[in-house]
Amino acid sequence: MRRLLLLLFSSSATLLVFGLWIPLKAAIAQELLELAWAESQARQTESRPWPWADTWPVARLAIPELNDSMIVLADTHGESLAFGPGRLAGGGRGGAVIIAGHRDTHFRGLKALEAGNEVRLQGRDGRWQEYRVEGIRVVDSRAELIDTQRLPDGTLLLVTCYPFDSVDAGGPLRYVVTASAKGKQWEKIDTVAGI
Amino acid sequence: MIISSSPLRLYTPATVSRRQRFRFKRLLEGVSLWLTVLLMLFVHPLYAEADEADHVGQLHFVDGQGVWQEPALVLDSDFDIKISGLIADSRLLRSFRNTSDQWREGVFVFPLPEKASVYGLTMKVGERTIEGEVQPKKQARRTYEKAREAGQHAANVEQQRPNLFTARVANIPPGETVSVELKYQQPVQYQAGVFELTLPTTLTPRYMPGTPVRSAPDQWQGGWAVPTTEVPDAGAISPFTVNPGDVSADSHRASISLVIDSGLPLESVSSPSHRLTTSQDGQTFRVRPDGGEILMDRDFVVRWRPVSGVEPSAAVFHQSWLGEDYLMAMLMPGEEGTMALPRDLIFVIDTSGSMAGESIRQARSALKAGLETLTPADRFNVIQFNSQTYSLFVQPEVATGNNLARARQYVDRLQADGGTEMAPALSLALNGPTETDDGARVRQVIFITDGAVGNEAALFQQIRQQLGNKRLFTVGIGSAPNRHFMREAARWGRGSYTAIQSPADVDGPLQALFSAMESPVLTDIRVNWPGQEAGIESFPRRPGDLFQGEPLMFVARGVTATGELKVSGRLPGGKDWSWTLDLQQAASATGLHRHWAREKIDTLEDEAKVTGREPDKAGITELAVNHGLMSAYTSFVAVESTPVRSVDTPMASDNLPTLLPAGSQAGMLRYPQTATSAPLLIALGLVGLMFSLALVLLQRRTFS
Repeated sequence: MRRLLLLLFSSSATLLVFGLWIPLKAAIAQELLELAWAESQARQTESRPWPWADTWPVARLAIPELNDSMIVLADTHGESLAFGPGRLAGGGRGGAVIIAGHRDTHFRGLKALEAGNEVRLQGRDGRWQEYRVEGIRVVDSRAELIDTQRLPDGTLLLVTCYPFDSVDAGGPLRYVVTASAKGKQWEKIDTVAGI
Repeated sequence: MIISSSPLRLYTPATVSRRQRFRFKRLLEGVSLWLTVLLMLFVHPLYAEADEADHVGQLHFVDGQGVWQEPALVLDSDFDIKISGLIADSRLLRSFRNTSDQWREGVFVFPLPEKASVYGLTMKVGERTIEGEVQPKKQARRTYEKAREAGQHAANVEQQRPNLFTARVANIPPGETVSVELKYQQPVQYQAGVFELTLPTTLTPRYMPGTPVRSAPDQWQGGWAVPTTEVPDAGAISPFTVNPGDVSADSHRASISLVIDSGLPLESVSSPSHRLTTSQDGQTFRVRPDGGEILMDRDFVVRWRPVSGVEPSAAVFHQSWLGEDYLMAMLMPGEEGTMALPRDLIFVIDTSGSMAGESIRQARSALKAGLETLTPADRFNVIQFNSQTYSLFVQPEVATGNNLARARQYVDRLQADGGTEMAPALSLALNGPTETDDGARVRQVIFITDGAVGNEAALFQQIRQQLGNKRLFTVGIGSAPNRHFMREAARWGRGSYTAIQSPADVDGPLQALFSAMESPVLTDIRVNWPGQEAGIESFPRRPGDLFQGEPLMFVARGVTATGELKVSGRLPGGKDWSWTLDLQQAASATGLHRHWAREKIDTLEDEAKVTGREPDKAGITELAVNHGLMSAYTSFVAVESTPVRSVDTPMASDNLPTLLPAGSQAGMLRYPQTATSAPLLIALGLVGLMFSLALVLLQRRTFS
């Protein structure tokens, strides 16, 4: 009986440790990423947060509403989402930017965002681009793809899993926050005439 | 520490030696438990990495649980092509191997050459072969669906676009293979002394203009695109596109064998797309891609050149089929002196997302090569389009060094991104101010694109309406351009079509295009067949203008191989030109009647476009059924009579993906997996802890 109890107790504690390790890792990684971000801004190069990392910081995402800011990583392959939100697409001239993050860690706060809120994105050149949240959608990832060609220039998509309080890590629903660039018109500068 | 100390406090005192032994045992237990925990900590990151790497942020198929699935069907293709004269006859064997332990239906959207006439379908199950038959499209689909529900082996091939088809194969048993053999023929291209044959193996994902029409889930057709107001069949022509690594290692491979028996001594056989292994036997060449199978991620192109000096300037072929005579004639007008008129040259370049990667680099170099051909007498403009249309100058500007330098700079900065809204760009290029000060200026549009759009028909219509006295030339870019769009756009635009296969292949074809554009060689072409005009049906009815290096091709029914064919036309200077061809020289050939029927079907569809009426559906269906051809209104279906699957055994349907064309970038992204198992682990851990705590308290109470 006691042995059983001990086993139950220790395995539960192990699970708890694993469970807590994930947000802890996410928080610690962001601290390391801050350093790498500062370095990459200073040197204007890709600098990896730790020597064996397969990703590097590409932007800083700030959500003034939540008093929150985080470092965005290039791509979402491998384990990179565990350390920070990943930029799926964008980063070139104009075009749309798509950033995905874990619902349980970095992008937990997305549920508090509402249309009209401000989101800011800082590039490696240090310039901030302000976005205004246009709307929020829940999509079924089994039946829908992101058509990057159809997104208007200056769009920012923040993607995370839905529902927020679900314990199922493989659910098909996604929570998509659509924001569009404020202020600057996303016209192509080299154009004389356009229709 | 909590774990080891708290249970230790629980037990009741007994004899010392027993207590010590017990304590030792407990200690061992504690140590081993902690070791287990440590081990799991080590293993966890490895496990997590393996788990996440597979389905995060990549283009993948998902099942009902959102978990990545490799398609259960493995696709194998085998092209067997025989070229004799001007017709290439192909057998294409597609094998669907079911690697799962469930019955499957395979659905595969695939391209064929844009001028292909599909005339046969055979289904092969093990040793048995079942011949397919032509039926009106809807009826064929019903026949297939009935057989599928009844558990019979069945196959159905449908035409979606003249160069895009859907194959369905029902009831593929677990672990077995069902093959579908398609027979089709296509005319060989002959231009500037070089013969060319193209085999498309994949398609560039097409952009669907218009606003999406939300369809009911049961209408979901397995494509990524939803029907739009302008492309109602978007779902049927947009298979998922994946990287070669996403299908199993032996899937989406094609073996190709080509026999060229052109009846001419050949100088060389080459391919701009693949390396070839060639063997020669007299005048017959056997060609295979080097290294056996090729990956189906780009068009396979073969070119052969007759020995210099014996390039054919005319050819006649004859066939009698079911008591009727069919004749095919090819004429190559000599290269006459050209007359260079000052031009307004409008370059239109596609900078949509589908051009991203290698394509936009090729397009940029093609455009720059075009700028090089301008003389100070010419005027030019550069228009780029994606979701929007932009132009370099408001009006065409004179090609001064300064303007050209500006244009080169503009071209260098072009990036590919966004949608493919072609209509406004065409309007800008074709509608622009047409004031030609002296009337001696010709306006030519060079359209550089991959043609990855779903609304081809509407665009042809627009070209026809806006063309006026201008000419439109298309330049096809990329590993798998939409050749149907390229060819037809150029035909409606009274120009010609050029394809660029690879970065190394930019110069040759473009040189030919730019010299051809100087002026058309022959206009106002008329054909006179011998004998009474009444019984003869000849296509094309009104031959378009001919550019340098292009041959004239005719196919006629009701002409015997006697007498002379007279062709006349006008040369650039206004001089008359005529040619007679002795039809008694005709060599016998096969397949001419199918080529004729296909040309007639195309003509009927053209007439419908010009008059704005519905095509003559009954006429086309009858013609297609008589000649055993696939068309927009007829499909092939093959059904085995005996059911193989009992009706209560379930069958899953697999939509096979096509491969992303080499060098291009994926435009469609899957939503990534964006949740961790943290909440689940924390919840489970807490529940377990609370449960054991409750047990401890309970025990304590009973013991105390």
